[in-house]
Amino acid sequence: MVDDVFDEVGLKVEDLHASYGAVEVLRGLNFEVAAKGVSVILGANGAGKTTTLRAICNMCSTSGKVTLGEEDITRTGTAEIVRRGVAHVPQGRGTFPELSTMDNLMIGAYTRKDGEVRDDVERWFEIFPRLAERQDQLAGSLSGGEQQMLAVARALMCRPRLLLLDEPSLGLAPLIIEDLFERFGTLNKETGLTMLIVEQNANLALEMADYGYVIESGEITLSGSADQLRNDPAVQEAYLGA
Amino acid sequence: MSTPLVVVAKDSAEHKKWKYAQWLYLAGFLLLTPLVLEPFEIGKMNRALVLSVAILAVNLVVGFNGMLALGHSAFMGIGAFVTASMVQDENWDYWQVIPIVLIVGFIMGVIIGLPALRVKGLYLALVTIAQAAVFPTLVNIDELGIAARTGGPNGKGVSEEVIAPDFLQWLPGVTGARGGSAYRYWIIVVMIGITLMLVTNYLRSRPGRAVLAIRDNEAGAAVYGVNLPVVKTMNFAISASIGSLAGLMWCLDKGFVAGQDFTFLLAIDLIIGLVLGGVGTIQGSIVGGLFVVWVNDLTKRISIPLGLYTLNGDGPLAKAIFGLILILFTFFAPGGIVSLARMVQAKLIRVVPLAPSGEPIQPIESFDPGMESTRADAAMKLSIAGPVCLAIGWLAMNINSLIVGVFAFGFRMIILFAPVAVLVATNELKAHAEGKRPDSIKGPANTARLLGLLGTAFVIVYAAQRFILNY
Amino acid sequence: MNWNFDVLPDFIFNGLSLGAIYGAVALSLVLIFKATTLINFATGELAMLGAFLVYVLHMEQGIWLWLSMAIAMGLSAGLGVLIERTLTRPFDPEDHLPVVLITLGLFLIINAVAGDIWNYQVRILTNPFGKFPDWVPSLGGDRYVEVLGSRLKYQSIGIWLTLALALFALSLILNKTKAGLAFRAVSSNVESARLVGVHTGRTLGFGWAIASAFGTLGAVLVAPQLGGVNPNMMATILIYALAGAALGGLDSQGGAVLGGILVGLIQAVLVTWGGVVVFGQLYMSILQLAAAFLIILIVLLFRPAGLFGTRRVERV
Repeated sequence: MVDDVFDEVGLKVEDLHASYGAVEVLRGLNFEVAAKGVSVILGANGAGKTTTLRAICNMCSTSGKVTLGEEDITRTGTAEIVRRGVAHVPQGRGTFPELSTMDNLMIGAYTRKDGEVRDDVERWFEIFPRLAERQDQLAGSLSGGEQQMLAVARALMCRPRLLLLDEPSLGLAPLIIEDLFERFGTLNKETGLTMLIVEQNANLALEMADYGYVIESGEITLSGSADQLRNDPAVQEAYLGA
Repeated sequence: MSTPLVVVAKDSAEHKKWKYAQWLYLAGFLLLTPLVLEPFEIGKMNRALVLSVAILAVNLVVGFNGMLALGHSAFMGIGAFVTASMVQDENWDYWQVIPIVLIVGFIMGVIIGLPALRVKGLYLALVTIAQAAVFPTLVNIDELGIAARTGGPNGKGVSEEVIAPDFLQWLPGVTGARGGSAYRYWIIVVMIGITLMLVTNYLRSRPGRAVLAIRDNEAGAAVYGVNLPVVKTMNFAISASIGSLAGLMWCLDKGFVAGQDFTFLLAIDLIIGLVLGGVGTIQGSIVGGLFVVWVNDLTKRISIPLGLYTLNGDGPLAKAIFGLILILFTFFAPGGIVSLARMVQAKLIRVVPLAPSGEPIQPIESFDPGMESTRADAAMKLSIAGPVCLAIGWLAMNINSLIVGVFAFGFRMIILFAPVAVLVATNELKAHAEGKRPDSIKGPANTARLLGLLGTAFVIVYAAQRFILNY
Repeated sequence: MNWNFDVLPDFIFNGLSLGAIYGAVALSLVLIFKATTLINFATGELAMLGAFLVYVLHMEQGIWLWLSMAIAMGLSAGLGVLIERTLTRPFDPEDHLPVVLITLGLFLIINAVAGDIWNYQVRILTNPFGKFPDWVPSLGGDRYVEVLGSRLKYQSIGIWLTLALALFALSLILNKTKAGLAFRAVSSNVESARLVGVHTGRTLGFGWAIASAFGTLGAVLVAPQLGGVNPNMMATILIYALAGAALGGLDSQGGAVLGGILVGLIQAVLVTWGGVVVFGQLYMSILQLAAAFLIILIVLLFRPAGLFGTRRVERV
């Protein structure tokens, strides 16, 4: 069972199993994400990081229990989970290459019925000015870093309670990655948005996260505050290259 | 029945017995068909077998390579017209045309397949569907001597009749009223046999394995060094030449070819046969051809009065029934009739594969249900079901309703399982002698053996009687 | 040789008006292909059914032609939604065979049912653009207007105007409405669309609805050129439309329309005018359908993505 480590829990995952066909990828995950905090899941290729996020959004066949705040969302459809306030930036960014930057942001607000969509667009354009410059370009023509910004901004357009980021550093130049993570940090501090990041780049991720988990072969093998993990000899050897 | 009635090790004596039994049934079916059927029914059978070859060709692309080919009617047409022209205009013999037809089909396959198979996706479907639609119009072109060769809109007849040569006249069935069609039936059967052998070997060869690898995982096959466009095109071209061969057989059988015979509807018939029989199985192609013709025949006889309106299967609705079958099979039996038959077979027999040491990977004894065995009961039920179904079927055949008639006809076939009951009962009695079964199984087992033997005898006598009656 | 340029405009006008219809049907194909990578072989038959609905509503029930067309388009849109929901959604779109089989089955069923109800006779359907309306100065009541010494039929003008209007409406729906935005998103990336809360199933149904309505429009407009409606009316048109879609690019909506028009022009000018009028070879007219087949082959040989399509990168 999971001990309630946090005062307020944003997302709670209990005994989560997931499989693709006959292959079981997750074998009983238990973890929590603190509300308004940044949590990170570290792990090697094939450990089940991406599947964890997909399972939370009910995009593969799963069993177990996923609770968002107070609501049980285990059996809720993906589109409905998004409506409940979970934004997922998939691996490989998942922008709509044939749509313009502006349309990408507008589709991000698809679930919203209020009239403040335009204001939000302006706001994200302020934070990511590069996107404002390229608002009429097709998303497919943006650079990798810009696409990642666009993916995050699009995810934020639905005013989520929880942001799931799947390897945001993948395929980006080191300078751009640092800039990106800095922005994530600012975003969390300014808005109090709960974030769950899945990363291979442990250094950067632990720097901005409050709490972290290590996943190996579909199971959580280690957990602790970011500082604890950073100083853990096993983590240092396996993920920090010390 | 949780465990199958019979469990045998692969290649054991008993397994061979099963295999021989299956071959015997097949041989009996093939032998009896031309002897028992009326001439026009043999004609239908021939048509079904010709379609089977074409379906096999489609299967090579769709079932074994995972590409969508929807236009094999055109290849059939090409084969048929080349044959008709060579035989009628140039006085060649049919067997001399075979290599020509194969080569022409292959070349057409390369021309049509190469552009479409260089790129991934549904493009082959796109090209081939257009090919099927275009072909019948091309036949009518007056220029370049095409219409002269194809007969244009009137079609082309071949005056040379295919009849048995003198030295084969002693064979039953190739003389007399049904002589012509029965002889052609045998030629077609032999050609199908050779084609099946070649195709099976091809699929086991190195290029054949590449073809299967592409179906299962295209990217994976590419990584292992399979040249995708070349292998796909070659496979499509081989399929096209088999399709052309089917066209040759069509011409040989009917002695008349016309553009209207090779329309898009024939192409769809082939696809339906493929799905009905079973995509990706050799047997499925053969079964598919038979069923397409059979179902087509059956629907024609449907006539259901619904008040003012009569649901008439003899009109356009025949096609709707085919469409419905296609959709139903796609939903509920994507493996086709072959997979349904395999389900039945799995209830009857299980073949345990061998480990490299030559031993079964799981000892046969471990499948023995021991004292709890219900096999004798099952065998008894099977042996009783045979005659009962036969009797019910016989009576029901007199009811003048198509649907009942079809079921009654199928019902009677259960008698063919009589030898299975004998075999199972004998096994059980043997186990009883070894003290592995309680005495209570003796009664059912003996009944099963007796009734089974009677049933088997009946089948043999019935077949012999039909044979003698016709000659 | 007989370079008879006097009659060339006739053929161009004819090609353009046939091509516009091919474009409409090609668009119907592409709308579904782009969202599902599925070629809907029942497109033509659905359109034919729509045309027969107009026939029943207008010719048999006497409802005003344009209202009949609107109703028929609505009904075929509903049928499209129904087909998507019940027949194609249960299958994985990546696995092409089952879905293609379903559309082929639909092709057979629709064609046969229509044949059973209305026979295979050609039935006359009022030409919506038979004669210029009376309010057109100096042309009212005429069937054509003289342009470049050739007869430009009112029917052609009407087809162009109607389709232009329909295309304009379509681009408004796709670019200015939320449902259109969702449809474009699903076409571009299904997974991500689901992740922003789009109900992909409903959105695909929306696509089928628009596609079916467009097909119906094309069938109604082409009917007068074929002498009326009949169950086999769309058989060859579907092949031309496939050629048009391949030429324009299977994943480009604008490309489909332009591709269809180009195919119409090739058919009328290259094959008919060039072959029959210039070279005097009558068999060229038989080759019209073969030209469509050749276009597909040539496009695949030299530019598989089509003139305006994008080459999809296969991710492994």
